[in-house]
Amino acid sequence: MLRLLIPFALLAAAIIAILGADRPLPRADFTFINRGDVTTLDFQQMSWQQDNRVARIIAEGLVAADVFSHDYTIVPAAAERWEVSPDLRTYTFHLRDAKWSNGAPVKPGDFLYAWMRGLLPDVGADYIGFIQHIKGGRAFTDWRSAALADFARKHAESPDPAAADDLWCETKRKFSELVSARATDDRTIVIELERPTPYFLDIVGFVSFFPLCESVVSRYESLDPASGRIKWNQDWTKPPNFITNGPFKVESWKFKRDLRLRRNPYYWNQSAIGVDTMSIPTVEDPVSSVMAFETGAVDWVSDVLAPFRTEMVAQKSDFYKEHKAEYDALNAQGLDPIEIDRRLPPDPRKNIHVFPAFGTYFWNFNCSRTLPDGRINPLADPRVRRALALAVDKHAIADGIRRVGEHVAPTLIPPHSISNYQSPKGLGFNPDEARRLLAEAGYPDGKGFITLDLLITKDGGHELIAQTLAKDWQRILGINTTISVQEVKVFRERLKNKNYMISRASWFGDYGDPTTFLETCRTDDGNNDRAYSSPKFDALLDRAANESDPAARFRILEEAERLLVEEDLPLLPIFYYVNMYLFDANKVTGISSHPRGIQLLYHVDMFNDGKGSNAPLALPPLKPGTHDEPSP
Amino acid sequence: MLGLIIRRLIQLPIILAVIYTLTLTLAWRIPGNPLENPEGRRPAPEVVAAMKAQYRLDSFWSFYWSYLDNASGLKYLRDSFSGRAAAQALAAESAGHAPPTRIIFDLGPSLQYRDQRVNNIIASALPVSMALGATAILIALVLGIAAGVAGAIKPNSTTDILTLAIALVGISLPTFVIGAALLLIFPVLLGWGRIPSWGRPVDIILPAITLSLPFAAYIARLTRLGMIEQLQSDYIRTARAKGVSEPAVLFKHALKNAFLPVLSYLGPAAAFAMTGSFVVERVFVIPGMGQHFVNAVQNKDLFLIIGVVLIYASMLVLFNLIVDVLYRWVDPRIE
Repeated sequence: MLRLLIPFALLAAAIIAILGADRPLPRADFTFINRGDVTTLDFQQMSWQQDNRVARIIAEGLVAADVFSHDYTIVPAAAERWEVSPDLRTYTFHLRDAKWSNGAPVKPGDFLYAWMRGLLPDVGADYIGFIQHIKGGRAFTDWRSAALADFARKHAESPDPAAADDLWCETKRKFSELVSARATDDRTIVIELERPTPYFLDIVGFVSFFPLCESVVSRYESLDPASGRIKWNQDWTKPPNFITNGPFKVESWKFKRDLRLRRNPYYWNQSAIGVDTMSIPTVEDPVSSVMAFETGAVDWVSDVLAPFRTEMVAQKSDFYKEHKAEYDALNAQGLDPIEIDRRLPPDPRKNIHVFPAFGTYFWNFNCSRTLPDGRINPLADPRVRRALALAVDKHAIADGIRRVGEHVAPTLIPPHSISNYQSPKGLGFNPDEARRLLAEAGYPDGKGFITLDLLITKDGGHELIAQTLAKDWQRILGINTTISVQEVKVFRERLKNKNYMISRASWFGDYGDPTTFLETCRTDDGNNDRAYSSPKFDALLDRAANESDPAARFRILEEAERLLVEEDLPLLPIFYYVNMYLFDANKVTGISSHPRGIQLLYHVDMFNDGKGSNAPLALPPLKPGTHDEPSP
Repeated sequence: MLGLIIRRLIQLPIILAVIYTLTLTLAWRIPGNPLENPEGRRPAPEVVAAMKAQYRLDSFWSFYWSYLDNASGLKYLRDSFSGRAAAQALAAESAGHAPPTRIIFDLGPSLQYRDQRVNNIIASALPVSMALGATAILIALVLGIAAGVAGAIKPNSTTDILTLAIALVGISLPTFVIGAALLLIFPVLLGWGRIPSWGRPVDIILPAITLSLPFAAYIARLTRLGMIEQLQSDYIRTARAKGVSEPAVLFKHALKNAFLPVLSYLGPAAAFAMTGSFVVERVFVIPGMGQHFVNAVQNKDLFLIIGVVLIYASMLVLFNLIVDVLYRWVDPRIE
């Protein structure tokens, strides 16, 4: 019997050895839970919010948005100033005297190298379209695609390293020849745009435009002699190889465990930095995230998805009710909601924060003429879509099912999210008008109407919302429905192939302009899952693109959105999303309520830790009577 | 014994090749584009085409052979012997580039986590899962055997029924319930332990207990049955008649034989526990392998799916081999 214990003793020794080799790092000054582990730290390949968020801590584009101003003013970052030509087509950026985290100076070439990378089909940037705003960007991508195809034809069977080298040199030459982004001296970049783009400054601050330290990153290039493609050895984003120009640098990256950031001593604006170290542990379970916060292990949970979050929101409004007089007085001063929370008495119930987001939950109508099975599609008739939209009680969904303080959505673009843009009114809940329209379309009381199928994904609570829609349509219009639940990959395929009738959907804007939403409804846009095609709508977008007066441009886009949400209804907006954060406003400052979730987390400061200025950051007070979203 | 080990080790690559073929065939048929962010924008068509070509996702057979070539180490050997690797390293050095990374069994890049290679992902996650799984198995053995022996001493007594009932609860209660309850009681209410709980040796206790319970319950039932059978046999009666003390009868004689079925169960159980549990890892926020089994399939991350399946298969073969070796060692009668 004793000899049996030997293997188990060995096992125990092995466990101790593994555990002993895996020492935890000391607690960082600021710890937060991102939405998930970063998928990549390659700025040009990023598309997930959690990636972008880390990018904005460790690196810096030419400009940035001031997240503590009401209109998110564009402020200097790596560029200290810039000029825009009167025709809004030429931008001249003057770089400041900044350094990389290895001490080398940041040069215009570092930006151009990154943008060239972003335009390569080899890199496969989701946001390649952003960089293609630069004149010649698309032409360069197309040239490279054609050149690669040509190369593969010639060398697939006989790989040729020298030819691959030549192609790469030719590509770099073509970039400077075709793409209108040039360094005029060692501090100046001049960009010419494809067309006047009023929101270009917003876009140029996006992570796709972040620079790379060319002298370091180019060391990781390798060419494939059979296809001519270029690849970057993935080691370049791993510390200590990863050189960035932001307020922090990556100190260690334990995949799916912890990303550690440390203050970059070479960053130009040291006084803006509030802490020395940051830790981003990977916590994917929504309940564990909240528990990690409750036990004090993390200071900020950036996305509260725990099933009991509705109760958390309800408790916060109870807290406000208990301190109604104080709350009303602070609110009357027009204070930032975070600042109000900070001034109210300490209470764990106030740690949940709900801010309006730049995103909308809606349902797609398949507008194709025929259904996938060949039947005539009644949804192709705008009157039917309008009838369906008028027959939905959105309040029952936002206030009855979601219960986290989201507002019902009559429009696609969240109102008041873009200054000077006047949202259309949209459609309300009107059963009588809905019945009338359906009868006009030839289906009085739903007679002769097909059974509609609602396509959803498994998680995220879409099933309850689908049931609400089904109930309303049955009750008001006499239309029967079925619900299909699919895995997200299957769901995406079916949407792409227009193999559905009605499906759940959502969209979050990328930049502060209506086109970030509206372009998804253009005929044949890659994200137009609705097969919606309206020459009138497309013409409005084209007119707006060529309109140089910003006010006139917005009037055109307002008309385009009105067409979508009042007449054509290719989609049915239900509610506008909120961002839900969990943090103690009395312990930490610097987390912004930006609707796109943009955070410049180097502003984060823990109160009374002796680091940073310890001054609370908040939006400046609004004048009484100015619009602001009510608190939950 | 040596013959057995050699035979199994020769079988291993064949088994893995078959499993690889099956897994890839199934995974290939998962609908959807692995290079697309499920919530975000659709990439431009030319981008999709270029990326598919780069990862050889445009043709099943091209993917099949190139993966086999890389993962089996054949490419590594070929490059080493043909001098191609040396030439590449030299070219990189003369161009001032970082030398290319060379991995013998190259399991490819992750499609979802583009900065990571599957080898690195497994290297970081597997030790975590193994430590957790091994601890859970040890706890399960102690708990299971103790409960089984206690029950078998007096079958159908209160102790027996109680241990059986607990075992039944252990098998039936899902780990996410036990895990969440333990988390709520210890770190949240009592302030013992923390979340995310990985790094310090004490952090392993709660997740290991959670993971061990179903195994402990099963081991308890196996032990109880074996002990009841052994305690009724002649050699035990002889031992008792000779006046051997009761603990010696139980643990030295009866348990030794009653343990054999437990031992054969331990092979697959250890392989299962040590390759990670999705639920336990998610609830306790442990950076192990379990998450990759589920997430990789959801993301259609082909390289990662095949990587984790191959690791699991190897572990299964390996642990069964260890159990067989132990078996013979414990009971020389078995050949």
